[in-house]
Amino acid sequence: MANTKRYWTGLDDLHQTEAFQTLQGQEFPQHEAVDEMLGNENLTSATTGRRDFLKFMGFSLAAATLAACETPVVKSIPYVNKPEGLTPGVANHYASTYYNGHDYVNVLVKTREGRPIFIKSNTATGVGRANVRVNASVMGLYDSARLQGPHLGGAGSTWADLDKEVAKGFAGGGRKVVLTNTVLSPSLKRSIDTFCATHGAEHLQVDAVSHSALRMAAKQHTGVDGFPGFDFAAAKAVVTVGADFLGTWGDAVYYAPEWAKSRRPENGEMSKLHAFETTMSLTGSNADSRTMVKPSESGRVLAALHGIVTGTGNVSGLSEGIANAVRAAAADLKNAGSAGLVVAGSNDLDAQLVAAAINTALGADGTTVKYNGEGLFAGDDAAFAQLVSDMNAGRVSALIVHGTNPAYHAADKESFRAGLGKVKFSLSTAGLADETASRCIAMAPDHHWLENWMDLRIGGTRIDLSQPTIQPLFDTRAAGESFMAWSGQPMAWYDVIRTTHSAGYTTDAMYNDSAWNGSLHDGFYMTGEEMPVSAPALGNDVSASVRRLSAAKGGAFELALYQKQAIGSGDQAGNPMLQETPDPISKVTWDNYVTMARVDMEAMGLNTYIAQRDKASVVKVTVNGQSVELPAFMQPGQTPGTVGIALGYGRGDGGENIGRAAFATGEHGDHLLTADGKPMPIGANVFGFATLNGGVPRYDAYDVSVEATGLEYALAATQIHNTVMDRDSVVKETTFGSYLAEASKPKGQASWNKNHTLNVHADVNGDGVINASDGKKTSAFDLWHSHPVEGVGHRWGMTIDLTTCTGCSACVTACHIENNVPVVGKDEVRRHRDMHWMRIDRYYASDWSQERGAEEGVGVIASYTKMEDPSANPQTVHMPMMCQHCNHAPCETVCPVAATTHSNEGLNQMTYNRCIGTRYCANNCPYKVRRFNWFNYQGYAKFQHINPSQDSLTRLVLNPDVTVRARGVIEKCSMCVQRIQDGKLEAKKNGTPVVDGAIKTACAEACPTNAITFGDLNDNASEVKTNSKNNRSYHALEEVGIQPNIYYMTKVRNTEINEA
Amino acid sequence: MQREAAIREPLILGHKTYKDITDDVVGPIMGPAPLGWKIMITISSIIALYGVGCILYLLGTGIGVWGLNKTVDWAWDITNFVWWVGIGHAGTLISAVLLLFRQKWRMAINRSAEAMTIFAVIMAAVFPGIHMGRIWVSYWVLPLPNQFGSLWVNFNSPLLWDVFAISTYFSVSLVFWYIGLIPDFATIRDRMTKPLAKKIYGILSFGWSGRAKHWTRFEEVSLVLAGIATPLVFSVHSIVSMDFATSVIPGWHTTIFPPYFVSGAVFSGFAMVQTLLLIMRKGMKLENYIHVKHVEYMNIVIIVTGSIVGVAYLTELFISWYSGVEYESYAFINRFSGPYSWAYWMMMTCNVISPQLFWFKKIRRSLVATFALSIVVNIGMWFERYVIIVTSLHRDYLPSSWGEFHATSIDIGIFIGTIGIFLTLFLAFARFFPVLALNELKTILKSSGESYKKEQAQ
Repeated sequence: MANTKRYWTGLDDLHQTEAFQTLQGQEFPQHEAVDEMLGNENLTSATTGRRDFLKFMGFSLAAATLAACETPVVKSIPYVNKPEGLTPGVANHYASTYYNGHDYVNVLVKTREGRPIFIKSNTATGVGRANVRVNASVMGLYDSARLQGPHLGGAGSTWADLDKEVAKGFAGGGRKVVLTNTVLSPSLKRSIDTFCATHGAEHLQVDAVSHSALRMAAKQHTGVDGFPGFDFAAAKAVVTVGADFLGTWGDAVYYAPEWAKSRRPENGEMSKLHAFETTMSLTGSNADSRTMVKPSESGRVLAALHGIVTGTGNVSGLSEGIANAVRAAAADLKNAGSAGLVVAGSNDLDAQLVAAAINTALGADGTTVKYNGEGLFAGDDAAFAQLVSDMNAGRVSALIVHGTNPAYHAADKESFRAGLGKVKFSLSTAGLADETASRCIAMAPDHHWLENWMDLRIGGTRIDLSQPTIQPLFDTRAAGESFMAWSGQPMAWYDVIRTTHSAGYTTDAMYNDSAWNGSLHDGFYMTGEEMPVSAPALGNDVSASVRRLSAAKGGAFELALYQKQAIGSGDQAGNPMLQETPDPISKVTWDNYVTMARVDMEAMGLNTYIAQRDKASVVKVTVNGQSVELPAFMQPGQTPGTVGIALGYGRGDGGENIGRAAFATGEHGDHLLTADGKPMPIGANVFGFATLNGGVPRYDAYDVSVEATGLEYALAATQIHNTVMDRDSVVKETTFGSYLAEASKPKGQASWNKNHTLNVHADVNGDGVINASDGKKTSAFDLWHSHPVEGVGHRWGMTIDLTTCTGCSACVTACHIENNVPVVGKDEVRRHRDMHWMRIDRYYASDWSQERGAEEGVGVIASYTKMEDPSANPQTVHMPMMCQHCNHAPCETVCPVAATTHSNEGLNQMTYNRCIGTRYCANNCPYKVRRFNWFNYQGYAKFQHINPSQDSLTRLVLNPDVTVRARGVIEKCSMCVQRIQDGKLEAKKNGTPVVDGAIKTACAEACPTNAITFGDLNDNASEVKTNSKNNRSYHALEEVGIQPNIYYMTKVRNTEINEA
Repeated sequence: MQREAAIREPLILGHKTYKDITDDVVGPIMGPAPLGWKIMITISSIIALYGVGCILYLLGTGIGVWGLNKTVDWAWDITNFVWWVGIGHAGTLISAVLLLFRQKWRMAINRSAEAMTIFAVIMAAVFPGIHMGRIWVSYWVLPLPNQFGSLWVNFNSPLLWDVFAISTYFSVSLVFWYIGLIPDFATIRDRMTKPLAKKIYGILSFGWSGRAKHWTRFEEVSLVLAGIATPLVFSVHSIVSMDFATSVIPGWHTTIFPPYFVSGAVFSGFAMVQTLLLIMRKGMKLENYIHVKHVEYMNIVIIVTGSIVGVAYLTELFISWYSGVEYESYAFINRFSGPYSWAYWMMMTCNVISPQLFWFKKIRRSLVATFALSIVVNIGMWFERYVIIVTSLHRDYLPSSWGEFHATSIDIGIFIGTIGIFLTLFLAFARFFPVLALNELKTILKSSGESYKKEQAQ
């Protein structure tokens, strides 16, 4: 038979052997059974040769070795039953409210897989924006120093035992007191009241940083007890005398965004801000006119303002410079009339009464000032002083401290501490064993606010809700629940809140089921009541106050105490992110210092220049016999003859366990120790320096002594150079007048924002001659092919309005948390190795310029040296700076391995796992925004106490959407690419284009004044596109030709003079 | 036979025979190690080990052990790199360029100059390696086929050009050096009596038998390699300079850099050759082969290149003013008046003023002065790179980011360590390798040897 088959399965097939044909005939051929083969007798009788033995042994050894090399098993437990509404990888947001006794703001809490990891403003209320302290407070939830259960007598206990002790403690006679911060929760108030009623106790409130003078003044002025409401959005002329209302004074989280609303030059009008202050504050740095006054003079400033505004007096006892500034301020106030506003920062009744009188005289009551009884800052300092003396006299038998830490922030903390020791039963509900709690007999830790229910109301027509975003991590109990339990009415805290309505504490319907869920979703409930009308002034005579203010006398040196933006009153001292956030003014991190004027420092021979190896001189400041030694810091704008010291430092002076980051660390990351072997606090506690007036602390002192000690101390600042050195393409600024004069000119033409052009040898402008006026924009020159981003797909970009940026640094912490930016500690910051992706550059104006040098015949080189010094009272610019996402990025071309590249959406993207760490990109970045991982921050001992990722609990705060970068790679702002991706996916799922505003970077979202706008530059309708076309927009360092995707908008000051 | 004008100074002093030359060069290799050598190599190896220790600490802990920061991301690392690469320029220039120009005086110095080149380039290569944040993935700079997708290197990056430039230069220099060594190794092999050493030198000499055919090929290969190496002498430092010149940083972004760097490199290379040879000729009694004339020739090269460097410095200053760019002019004003002006004036003094002293014949022909000035020039050239890198970076565009750089003990330790490694290698070379190109020297003995020239004159 002819075999025409071309392919064979084998030789058997080719030759068509008999066996093959047999097999082919069977559909299921019977193969030789395995057991038959194994049953081969030869196998069992075979001996294992030496070589085989060695092979087997070698294999076994290798296998065993390899098995031992297994990487550690990390167990992750999948959801067996997926919880409703929770998808791994998808974030959930919960509306909540932050209140710590000072900052009060509606927030949204972002949770991932049940972990709260990010806090942002809940803008649905339309008022108040989370600040730097609120943003960063999420870290506190994961603080491993938190109390993990009730304690009695310093040892762990149970809630049952603790409850019995409380019952015993409150059984006796004597004063029994519940001491809290200002309680704004109706339900908490109810449970405290219930407790007080049960045990015959009394409820006292005290604030960490007292604002009680303002409340007392409001009560005297109008008869209404409550914190006045200030409407900065409605004000056209604002005069602040020492009130840092953009930073830390009063309800700053509410004021700052409101004030910024009045600062949009495009509206054709801008409010004007006059600041009279001692130490350069955030508000002062944003003022249109800033005047340096001593604390003792600030009263005279108010008196003079009062005199001019009411026409009853004139400027007296003030130097000519201050007097002129007062006259100018008074004139602006009078022009503004009812849209004028005076705020005084001094916690002094006279000052507040006079300020209130000025506002009334202006007719501002009811417009910019409203007296409708808000509940903020209800602390009663006189009652607290009485309590302390009673405690020391042994008259107090039982004390519960909730939400406050007087052993730290009381002006006379030593007598409080001594008194606490004499109280028979003391209890603290603090979450940490802080200065007060660790001195109490019992500790009944409250939930962290992210674990807790709360209803809050400051007045008005809104009630806010806090809701738990995670199961309590530890065996803690809501304080309200504790109070109910101790009242003998045990009740779940949630039920307490839900029954508060029926208990008659509120008059609205929020607490019924139908309204509750919606309110919980929104985070607040509008009661629908009428907004209370501002109470009219009673028309008291304030002439006595004016007299007293005018009579104030100061000594050789005066002291102003202030709060730093990030540290505030010190309640979050253990938060490494806040400690590392540079102070918006001084740019110093991790430290407390004495701010001083250059002239005073030079007179005392102190170091005025702080840098890596240039240490600060330590000075001794003595007030009323108490003294502290702190480094002196040259602060431009500090009134000569005064010093300023920040409150909020010196936490944990007894080595209390308030978080590892609250203590000073050395060069190797170990805690520095005090002489008695306790961890050394950062800075010094200066609450005691406040001047007490009937128990009310006024945070300044008129006569202090400052002496040099000859010691030196290293400070760590993220910016050591203060001025912009005449460089006009970094920050552009103008006055409101010049802005208006050229407001209609097209972009690039106005004198305050001229395009940068390069001369070319061609007749560009068509005037027939080729001369210096023939120039082309830098973007016309191109070495590389442009990335096809214009008009194709998305092109992400950002605009930053320097006019409304206050430098508050909320964006800095938001970025820090969102992007898992490492915390590196003081020693590394001192070495200029801070890792912030987002920083705020702060430039002071200098008296000197090359122009002035030419006029005065000073050489170029000498002029440059003179320009390094800021003026004594400089104008200030805050310039947020992050990766500019250049379309012609210098970093991209120099990376040898293409680890940083341009996305087709205009992003400059960093591929961490491709980076080999040559740092060439960082060198070639004109903005110096690239950050290198100098160490393994997640494991190196130097960062053991401060880096969140080195603590197994704290690391839960890390954002799972963002890689934690390894040692040796470069990192930088990604424009929150994870959020862009998320937003794009969301849009894709919905089948719609990405809506403008749907994606926001962490910084843009956090910006309280909406200075930062993020969006798609290819979307012609987007806000960012509109802003980028605004004639105030420019690129920083435009002439380098790198074509950034970030636009800055020229700063407009409402002033006549432009210094920088 | 070649003849040379009688008035030319002889290149080999005294009365030497071919055998004398062989004895003078091979003798030290055959004999026991002298005490001085033992002391020197002990000291240099200790320094080398310290450097290795510092490098290991760096690799184990992170780049943070250096003094670098967010503003100054390169300092001693790249300064040392450029410095060593610069030093590595003299050898190839001497052996290749001078070969093409038929400069016979090179024969006495080319061997050790090339050895120095090889070792200097090795030291230079250490720094780009260890300065990487993740040295374990340093092979990613090579355009290797890989499994990371279509991931390729970035051919726009001057750092990548560096990789190619340095590796090419190193391989060509090494081959060139080795080819020259082959006949000399054969000579040692023929003399060697110790069996193991004989075997090793036998392998190293590649079966050289000294036949006319071998010599022809040797000459041809040398010429070809010289042709290849000559452009490399100019390309390597041009490309290194482009690391800076192609950037946007004021003080770096300068088109003058390639010629300026090349002349600077030759300048420092010759200075280092002087430093090493002046010691070696004394220690190994080679005064007859490397004498004042050689030193003078090299000093002339130093004057020329030093003057080019000086002109380049002044041109930079002029252009920074003439350009009218405020960042550029500030960068240069800051160089000579800012916080690092001490480094600038150190550089100016060492590099611009000191080589001008060689215009004086007395100084030019003084061995002591030459030795001192060669060290001064090397210090100056180190500061030149330091000035370019650190002072340009520490104050660039945004005053907010202006910072400082302070070296740590590890910065210093690694630099000193590489000098130790370099000296150890060079001492090993001096002990085991023919330090003079002895077979080449023999070709000029009869024409340029002192006694022979006298004979001819008579």
